[in-house]
Amino acid sequence: MTNITNTASSTNQQLKEAYFTASQGQLIWQRFKRNKSALAGAWVLIILILSGIFSPFLTPYDATIAGRDKGYLNGAPQVPSFCDDNGCSIRPFVYTYERSRSFKTNFRWVSEEKVELEDRRYLTFFSRGMEYTFLGIKFDRHLFGVDKGMVHIFGTDSTGKDIYSRTLTAINTSMAVGTIGVLIAFFLALVIGGVSGYYGGKIDSVLQMVTDTVRTIPNIPLFMALAAFIPDTWSSEERFFFISLVLGLIGWTTLARRIRTHLLSERNQEYVLAAQLCGASPSHVIRRHLLPSFTSYIIVDLVISFPYMILSETALSFIGLGLKDPVNSLGVMLQNVTSADVLLNYQWYFIPVIFFIVLVLAFVFVGDGLRDAADPYADTNK
Amino acid sequence: MLQFSKFFAVRAMLAILTLVMVSFIVFTLMELVPGDCAERYVAFKNSQGSVITPEDIQIERVRLGLDQPYVQRWGSWIINAFQGEYGNSCILRVDIAQLLGQKFWLSLGLCLSALLLAYLIAIPVGIIAATSKNAVLNNSLRLVSYLGLALPNFLLALMIMLFSTVYFGDSLTGLFSKEYRDAAWSTDRVMDFLGHAWLPIFILGWSATAFAIQTVRALMSDEIGKLYVTAAAARGVSGRRLLMRYPARHALSPIINSVGFDLNRIFNELPIVALILTLTEAGSLLIEALARSNDQQLAGAIIFMLTASIVALNFVTDIILALTDPRIRRSIVG
Repeated sequence: MTNITNTASSTNQQLKEAYFTASQGQLIWQRFKRNKSALAGAWVLIILILSGIFSPFLTPYDATIAGRDKGYLNGAPQVPSFCDDNGCSIRPFVYTYERSRSFKTNFRWVSEEKVELEDRRYLTFFSRGMEYTFLGIKFDRHLFGVDKGMVHIFGTDSTGKDIYSRTLTAINTSMAVGTIGVLIAFFLALVIGGVSGYYGGKIDSVLQMVTDTVRTIPNIPLFMALAAFIPDTWSSEERFFFISLVLGLIGWTTLARRIRTHLLSERNQEYVLAAQLCGASPSHVIRRHLLPSFTSYIIVDLVISFPYMILSETALSFIGLGLKDPVNSLGVMLQNVTSADVLLNYQWYFIPVIFFIVLVLAFVFVGDGLRDAADPYADTNK
Repeated sequence: MLQFSKFFAVRAMLAILTLVMVSFIVFTLMELVPGDCAERYVAFKNSQGSVITPEDIQIERVRLGLDQPYVQRWGSWIINAFQGEYGNSCILRVDIAQLLGQKFWLSLGLCLSALLLAYLIAIPVGIIAATSKNAVLNNSLRLVSYLGLALPNFLLALMIMLFSTVYFGDSLTGLFSKEYRDAAWSTDRVMDFLGHAWLPIFILGWSATAFAIQTVRALMSDEIGKLYVTAAAARGVSGRRLLMRYPARHALSPIINSVGFDLNRIFNELPIVALILTLTEAGSLLIEALARSNDQQLAGAIIFMLTASIVALNFVTDIILALTDPRIRRSIVG
């Protein structure tokens, strides 16, 4: 009997010890795991990001004009099926398609799947297709393809580009823009917030004025004003980097404020004084002593600011000041749904919109979960 | 009273200082755009058939005052801007104040109505969400506010517009019917305007409402758990009286404080929503100026006016806060 209570109390002791010796990051992770919706969001997010990164492999065709299907413009999605009137097969298959126009379609050219029972086109897996470079190595294997012709599970757009391929590539681009933007914003926030919080006093007041001013100007109009600098002659890569830069140049204010507030409360601690007495330079104290004390909070803030970056990119691209059509970004994909023609005739253009909403929602869920988990008072409140 | 006037003076100074800095940023942006007004004006003349020499550009520069040093031009720009004068647009060659005039007030009206709508919905809903223990209600509210972020206003506007075009045959766009577009203000025109304005107001208010609900809910649930509320409940205060008298009053001041940022958020959406719903107001002029004609004078004026209204609103909310909360009066700057 005593034995049992002993082991129970010792595991309890161990748990307590683990709790008190855990690092900031471990504690946050512990709390985060308990939040089911945030965890689900994290899984969705990971899947989306991975499918963005591995998009060249996961998609059957090149997302640019090189991968277009001339025979299937504005084509409806082809749904692979296992069975038809000719019986079933283990391998999924699609049918061929054709372009036609008739009285029925108001004499508009329509690409349609044509059900010819004899002409089944089986999906092939790990099939050879177009070459692509991934991590500097050339590959030609794709997750799936079709043995004859081409397959478009999300349909095609007006130039015959595969919407499925475009969507996954777009996730990649938008994430890349977001990442670069967040990194630039992070760097600026670190420098400005760090200096402002560490020195305090007059420097702090001046820097806070600047931060507040930038915060007061509405972001999107400011983005637009900056993006308007882009000359038409720039290549899509240059545009891409400029847009990321613009997003970063404006998005730093919230994070800078947080870093400053934290530093202001930390800088009078004894360990900072000790470091200063040892002759450490301000930048050393900030980098090696102050920032590590709240790295996890910075990470949380970065995740929270991510969806705003993606939203800003889509907004910019949407009004035509951001990325433009040869580049596949979520904003460009959204821009393509802006006509009544699409809603009436080509509803599959909306599929990327779903991906976009799910991506942003997943980020918001994860960000919210992380914020709750990073709140040191979360446990005491409940 | 002395304390309050001191507070008022400090805040007014800070607001003006912020505006000066905003004007500096905006003016610098305008200057950075390649090419200046003189070149554009002369290029326009050139396209009309007259022969242009570099001297002409120089003369034009002197005429427009572009040869003066940067700081001096900024100084005169901001002095004029505070008087509501923004000079001429160099693309359209009309007076900007005249061009914007009514359009700007229309936009501001739309945005403020959207803000009002957001808080009219958010305050009661947020308080209910914070006090109710109903998990279904809470979770669905949470989802709605997440969607407020994930479903950007422009997407919402687009969907509503497309659906109404296709299924009702009315695109719901614009701010006026055809016959009232250029008419003078009259009762009929106001009614016509209201008949059109509800959609942009709703769409502009959409994500602001979602955010405001989140804020109100978080603040209320923070306050409800506090001891003074328990103490009041122990004294026998209950129900709505308890909520309104104790936690709601305390939650109010951070909410008033955040109104300025909500207006900022609504302004963010304004140009894009204006583009989709083809509203003829300042938002669409801004897009026009930036995306199409590269008219930096006009764009700068619009951005400055938008920011100025945010600064003004922040100033007003600060004063209201100081009037309602003596603690803030005492802290002067903080």
